[in-house]
Amino acid sequence: MISMTSQGRAFGIASPVLQWMGLDPSPSIHDRIRAGMHLFAVLPRLTDVVRHDEEGRRIADKMRVSIEFRVLNGPRVVLSFADGRIKTRSEGKSDLGLLFTSCAQLNNMFDGRKVLPIPFKGLHKAGELSRLTRLTEILTRYLKPSDTDMQSPRFRESHVEMSLLVGLSATQQIALQDPRAERIANHLPNGTIQYIILDGPACHVVLEDGLIEARSGTIADPTTTIEIQDIDLAVSLIKGEVDTFAANGSGAIKASGSLVLADEFNTLFDRVGHYLQ
Amino acid sequence: MKKLYCFDKSLALFERAARVIPSGISGNKNPAFAVPGSFPYFAESGEGCRYRDVDGNVYIDYLAAFGPIVLGYKNPVVESAAAEQRRTGTTFNHPTERAVELAEKLVATISGMDWCAFGKNGSDVTAYAVQAAREHTQRRKIIKVRGAYHGSQSWCRHGIGGLIESDYEHVLDFSWNDATEAEDLLLEHEGDVACIIITPYHHPAFGDQVMPADGFLSDLQRLCKRHGVVLISDDIRAGFRLDLRGSHEYFDFEPDITCYCKAMANGYAISACLGTQDLKNAASKVFFTGTYYTSAPEQAAALACLAELERTDAVSHMMKMGRMLMEGLHTAAENNGLEVTLSGPPTLPFMTFANEDNFRRSQRFSGEAAKRGVLLHPHHNWFIMLEHGEADIQDTLDVADTCFRIIKKEFGS
Repeated sequence: MISMTSQGRAFGIASPVLQWMGLDPSPSIHDRIRAGMHLFAVLPRLTDVVRHDEEGRRIADKMRVSIEFRVLNGPRVVLSFADGRIKTRSEGKSDLGLLFTSCAQLNNMFDGRKVLPIPFKGLHKAGELSRLTRLTEILTRYLKPSDTDMQSPRFRESHVEMSLLVGLSATQQIALQDPRAERIANHLPNGTIQYIILDGPACHVVLEDGLIEARSGTIADPTTTIEIQDIDLAVSLIKGEVDTFAANGSGAIKASGSLVLADEFNTLFDRVGHYLQ
Repeated sequence: MKKLYCFDKSLALFERAARVIPSGISGNKNPAFAVPGSFPYFAESGEGCRYRDVDGNVYIDYLAAFGPIVLGYKNPVVESAAAEQRRTGTTFNHPTERAVELAEKLVATISGMDWCAFGKNGSDVTAYAVQAAREHTQRRKIIKVRGAYHGSQSWCRHGIGGLIESDYEHVLDFSWNDATEAEDLLLEHEGDVACIIITPYHHPAFGDQVMPADGFLSDLQRLCKRHGVVLISDDIRAGFRLDLRGSHEYFDFEPDITCYCKAMANGYAISACLGTQDLKNAASKVFFTGTYYTSAPEQAAALACLAELERTDAVSHMMKMGRMLMEGLHTAAENNGLEVTLSGPPTLPFMTFANEDNFRRSQRFSGEAAKRGVLLHPHHNWFIMLEHGEADIQDTLDVADTCFRIIKKEFGS
């Protein structure tokens, strides 16, 4: 479960004080949703970097640290590196902490702008940050690939899987925070949706009591199955460029099983593009 | 063995459509809501209870254009009345005498109603009904049943596309057959609720149909009276298929406003909102108009359709055919070792497979039936029409038997 710090107060500092310090005590919904997506949908893809990328794997092998990303008056996430694996959690202790003064500052960093977060603990482990930086550079390469990288079928497949997982995971923030989606989110059915790209990877989503979890691979007996004819279409779909009803009619996308679940979830998925490029 | 149907022209035409029409085909007629690739996309013609798609495949049709075709396609009486009217023109500066005749006919036919206004589609008149209720009560809130469909206007449209929160800010939901939940909403928003809008029985897409529990509709009626709230019966889907006097007669309750469309004119575009005397003044204050709301051929067609429904005692026949279909499907499924649920009244039946909430077997069943010349939607209730005869039902059951065998083989149970 994603925990958010309460409105108007973070680290015991009251809103007027934050305002006096020139900080934003109540970020816009847009900034909050983007920050949530960056921390809970984009950052966790570092686990996929380790799975898909040799250099990423080598870097992660050397790391034994838990790094906290905390937004003042906003969300926090802890990335734990151990035994070559990365785990993401929203609670618990960390060795090293980076404080972002606002959701907007965090978002700027993910948008590639120069940002200086404030290290608030574990300075003796600051060396790990250079490894983390390299990992995030690799992640960026997969999520925003060059034309040259996309020539490689293997890279394209990894790009599509990671991008799809980002998009699918980001729906959780839509469900939790987007006022326009509240109507759907309040009655989101439970179930599982299997996404299969016929010449590429498979991912699935588990929806349970309002929580949405996206994972790679297949799942047995999904409530809904969505087959996408090829990677090109999947890329367009992720970019929000596809008329999904038209694609369904033409057979480019084949949805079977519970179309209610597919339709409701797709409403959330469609909104991700309003926040993430 | 008869050659299975294919849908090549439908698919080719859809590709053309998708280039110039958003979604290719919009709304509930988009292939995504049926069985893409195993269902027709585009129509060519219809006659009686037979529907011909653009590939030339002919079906025994249980979709009936999603309800409007109640007598059968190309009914000669209705077609001739519409043609006769068209000879003098179609749409004029003013309504013709047909408008008054039709309003008089509907007021005389639908029990408890004193006035009538015309639109073109169901959404026109459900929107008008809630606006008349708001005007009458000078209140804002609309209470509706969760999952019920009342059209594509902003206040009740499915999804969030193109909508803003304030579009549905004053719309509250309760569960079908739970009058207590409705009462809780009335109490919570005391003095602010304009109307409760219901369908006479619950016919959601993607689910079994649910009849009203004993006392549910009369409880709602009592609650509306007690709280000064208008009770609207959206009879667009079931109207003229259960009782010509309105489905509220069939289910024995007394709404203040009723809405009709689908089976009213056997395929001609017209809808009607009827209400009781004490709402007439409020209804007159709602600016309700559309370019084609007064088109005369549709009104002539409606007059002819209503007369034919009466003359032929169509509801009795459709009930008989619907029962034969429902019982036959139940038996055919059982004979193949399958358990199905047949729900809804016989004239608007629907079938689901037991213990299945993802519709995979329904989708397969409907796709296989369509390839064999029977059109049964996997997610939406079906419609019986006057032209369905015993031979058509038997042919349908023969096809269903084959399809059940396929399901049994593929899914096991």
